[in-house]
Amino acid sequence: MNTRHRGALCLLACVCSLPLFAQRPSSAVYDTEREVRLEGPVTRIDWATPHVFVFLDVRDAAGTVVNWAVQVASPIDLERSGWTRSGLRLGDVVSITAQPARGSQRQALGRLVVLKASAKQLFSSSRKPSAASRTAPTPRWPDGHVRLGPPPGQTGYWGAASAPALTEAIRSPVRLNGDGLLADLADADRVAPFQPWAKALYLHRQRSLLKDDPLGRCMPPGGPRQFHMPDGFKFVEQRELGRILVLMGGGNRNWRVIHTDGRPQGQPAEVVLSFFGNSVGRWEKDTLVVDSVGYNERFWLSSGGLPHTESLHLVERFSRPSLETLRYEVTVDDPRTYTRPWTGGWTVQWVPNEEIQESFCEENPEFTFVR
Amino acid sequence: MAPDNRTPNRPAARLALIGLFVCLAFLPVRAQEGHPLTGTWSGDWGPSPAARTHVTMVMAWDGKALTGTINPGPDAIAVEAIFLDVTNWTIRFEASTKEASGAQVQVAAEGKLEDIASSHRTLTGTWRQGATKGTFKLTRD
Repeated sequence: MNTRHRGALCLLACVCSLPLFAQRPSSAVYDTEREVRLEGPVTRIDWATPHVFVFLDVRDAAGTVVNWAVQVASPIDLERSGWTRSGLRLGDVVSITAQPARGSQRQALGRLVVLKASAKQLFSSSRKPSAASRTAPTPRWPDGHVRLGPPPGQTGYWGAASAPALTEAIRSPVRLNGDGLLADLADADRVAPFQPWAKALYLHRQRSLLKDDPLGRCMPPGGPRQFHMPDGFKFVEQRELGRILVLMGGGNRNWRVIHTDGRPQGQPAEVVLSFFGNSVGRWEKDTLVVDSVGYNERFWLSSGGLPHTESLHLVERFSRPSLETLRYEVTVDDPRTYTRPWTGGWTVQWVPNEEIQESFCEENPEFTFVR
Repeated sequence: MAPDNRTPNRPAARLALIGLFVCLAFLPVRAQEGHPLTGTWSGDWGPSPAARTHVTMVMAWDGKALTGTINPGPDAIAVEAIFLDVTNWTIRFEASTKEASGAQVQVAAEGKLEDIASSHRTLTGTWRQGATKGTFKLTRD
């Protein structure tokens, strides 16, 4: 095999392996315990979902110029913080504080990006979106039912969740990072009432920094995890068709159907196993109660690595106490994984006057380069 | 004379074949993220590298106990007991079967579950069937 053939083969291998490295939890890719300061001219900007990447030439201590790739936030988050697509140009010198990738890759997760010439702060990961300044009443349909989408004539979607992962410890939360990694592994028993095998598997995933997360292979965020995706979700209530669609912004723009036409729940042994299950919903006053069975075992129930089996049965409760807040509560009943049914949940913040953006797992520019 | 289009371009064909294998190796796999033993496992056991017997084993978890079948089909062997120690992911299982002579023999195996996060996780260890001792390796399909 000549050099050209070998090159073609390597390229083929790289292309074939792309989805394997897609959207891994940042804890698995970046070392959150370390920090690097990078400064140099920008050589390339990949302004794409789900993460923007900025490339810059950095001169190291020996005087050698090396090119670094710095991952920042999603375009929508950057634009919201005031950094638009034209806000940074090739050749601009930037100063970046970042967490380096594990290993020797010249790749980092940006925490603070400052334009050198003007000292303008382009991005700071510590800057959180301001909370809604007022509380508007819950939007309703003419018949009085709660609307899960925007008020008439407006746009919006559901954005950030108040918790990074599903846990049973609602009143006394366990400490988790943004990827669902426990600050103290001894807290595992407070996360959920695991069977021994499930706890051992959960701890294994935690110890390996979630590197085997199915989302990293572009698998859909099944179960409660669909309401944890960084790019949000929205409900489309098709009342005339007796169903509610859940459209997800992250992952692979997945969608889920909740049947509200009064049909009975399917028999778990008969329904086709899937990532989002077979869901039937009904309204109990102002709360949408959704009963789901028929889940496959190819996803993690939540960030952090919660396992489940095909016997998983979820009862989800959605309520909207105000325009800006969605309350999500889910009861997990999986007797093959947990010793008893348990309940967790979080709230989700409304993002007004915006739409969820296009985001495909395998499109991330991270995979167009090898560091 | 026109070139014979049926003649395979051997280097190109070989490259394509290698490329196909590489692609297959890297394809996103249908991982099973539930109980690590659930599913179909295949491999072999035997007293030496040259003397191997194919084994297919199906295991399931019902929430309380692991059940299993060796070589499902007309000659299936029901596994009598499967023990999993999750502190070190070791497994032990026992069964009994009839040899060609009609004699009842005991099967007992002990092994370790490796690479539990992989869809192609493996079980390796020792296998004893009657008076024969050997090793086994099973890979989850």
